[in-house]
Amino acid sequence: MTHLAYLDAGSGSLIVQAVVGGVAGVAVAAKLYWRRLVSRFRRQPTDQG
Amino acid sequence: MTVPDTGVRVEPGSFRDPGNRVFHRGDEVLRGLDERSARDWRALSAADFFRNLTAAGHVVGTEELTPTPVDAPWAAVLRHDRIPFVSHPYEWSCAMLRDAALLHLDVLGAALDAGFTTKDGSAYNVQWRGARPVFIDVGSFEALRDGEPWAGYRQFCQTLLYPLLVQAHLGLDFQPFLRARIDGIEPDQMRRLFAGTRRFRAGVPTHVHLHGAMQARNSAASTSDVRAQLRDAGFSRELARGTVRGLAKLVRRLDHRPGDSHWSDYQRTCAYSVPDRQAKETFVDRAVAATAPGTVLDLGANDGRYARIAARHAAHVVAVEQDPAVVDALYRALRDEGEQRILPLVLDLADPSPGGGWRGVERAAFADRARADVVLALALVHHLAIGRNVPLPEVLDQLTAFTATGGALVVEFVHPEDPMARRLLANKPDGLFPDYRRDAFEALLARRGRVVARTELPSGTRTLYQVVVGG
Repeated sequence: MTHLAYLDAGSGSLIVQAVVGGVAGVAVAAKLYWRRLVSRFRRQPTDQG
Repeated sequence: MTVPDTGVRVEPGSFRDPGNRVFHRGDEVLRGLDERSARDWRALSAADFFRNLTAAGHVVGTEELTPTPVDAPWAAVLRHDRIPFVSHPYEWSCAMLRDAALLHLDVLGAALDAGFTTKDGSAYNVQWRGARPVFIDVGSFEALRDGEPWAGYRQFCQTLLYPLLVQAHLGLDFQPFLRARIDGIEPDQMRRLFAGTRRFRAGVPTHVHLHGAMQARNSAASTSDVRAQLRDAGFSRELARGTVRGLAKLVRRLDHRPGDSHWSDYQRTCAYSVPDRQAKETFVDRAVAATAPGTVLDLGANDGRYARIAARHAAHVVAVEQDPAVVDALYRALRDEGEQRILPLVLDLADPSPGGGWRGVERAAFADRARADVVLALALVHHLAIGRNVPLPEVLDQLTAFTATGGALVVEFVHPEDPMARRLLANKPDGLFPDYRRDAFEALLARRGRVVARTELPSGTRTLYQVVVGG
C-alpha cells in the first residue's frame, strides 16, 4: 500500500523516532541499517552483470 | 477546489492539507472534507477517545452538518465551536507553549491507543480558550497504519520542542524564532546553537544532534522507502507510543521560569497610591459594565489586574503585554485558577505581530485580528508616545482602530508632571514632545469619539477617559 501524507515527514525524522523510542527502537534502527548494508552487497553483482 | 460565492470566506491559514479546508460563513467556522477525509471523520467521530477528548474540552467541539450542504464542493462539512480569539505561537509565553506541546502529545497518545494518529504535529494545531489549550485541527486525525512512525514528529520538533529547548536551556526568548519562520527552527540551526557542552543538555543529543545528522544522511532517501524499511525492520505501534511518552517526559522537564524583569514588579513600583488605584479600578469596572462587551482587549495588561476586573462583565478578555516573563507569570496564575475567559498574550504594541506565511496572510497580523467592544489602554499611552516616540494622534488612531464601532475605549492619560512621565521624558531631549499635554490629548480624543466619562485620579497627575468610538 502506498500512502503519501500531505506533509513531508522527513526521512531522517522518521528513522530517529525509532532511536528515541528506547532499546527496542534502537534494535529496529540497527536492523534497518543492517538490511540496507546487506542489500547493497547483494545488489552489487547483479548491477555489474 | 473552487468555492461558490455564497458569502463564505476561505480561511487563508488552512490550505496545506488539500484533503480539508476551513472556511467561515458569517460567524460560523466550517471545515470542508474530501471523500477520504470524510471517511476518516466518520471513523473518528464514532471513536470513544475522540468523544472523551471533546467532552473534556481538549479538542474543539465539532459536529457534522447533515445533510451536507448541496452547494458545497465537499463530501462532508463540519462545524467547529468558535475560538474566541485566534493567537499565534509567537504570542504565547513559554509555559503556554509547553502546555500546548503537552496537550498535543496527550491528544496524539490517546489517538494512538485507539488506532488513530495525527497527520502533523504543528504548534498551530493548538488554540486557547482563556488559559486552557484546545486542539483545533480535527482534520489532522486519520487511521494509524501499523509500523509507521509519526509523520508530525519533525514539525513538532521545529515548532514546539526546539523553541522550548532554546528557552529552557539557553534562556533565550523563543518568540522571535517562531515569528520569523512559520515552519519553526530547523535541526541544522539548532545544532549550531547547541554546540560544545550544550550538546549534552536534556533532549539535545537525540532530538537535535542525532535528528539533524539523520536528516543529512538520509536526504536522498524518500519517505515512502524509509517507511517501508522501518515497517520491515519491525517498527511497532508500541514503539510509536514509546516515542510520544518520551517526548512528553522531556517536555515536562522543560519547565523554565523566566527571571524577573523590569515589568515584573511594575504594579508595586509604578508609583500608584492606594486611593489612585481604587479610583482607577472603580472607573474601569463601571466603564466595562456599562458596555457589557463580548470581547475586551486589555493593552499593556501587566499582572492582569484590570483584565480580571473586565472579566466580571465580559465574555472574553485578551490581555496583551510586551514582557514575556510577566505574561508567563500571569498565564501560570490564570491556569492555576482554571480561568477560561482571559487569554494572556506576548505582544509589543510598537512592534505587533505582522502577517506571516504565504502571501503574508496565512497567519493574520495582530491588527487584522484585534477588534474589541472595549479596549483598555491604562498607563500605556505615555510609554508609546514618549518611550517609543509614536506621535500622539497615531497612538489614538491605533487605539480607536482596535475598538468596534459603538464600543468603548477606556484610556488613561499620564500628565507630563507625573513622576512616571517625568522619568520617561528625562531620557529624551528637552522639548521633544511639546504636544504631549492634557488639552492636546483631549482635543484628539474629541475628534475620534464621544467622551462619556472622565475622572482625575486623586494624585492629580493622571486622568481616565471613557470614549464611545464612532458614536
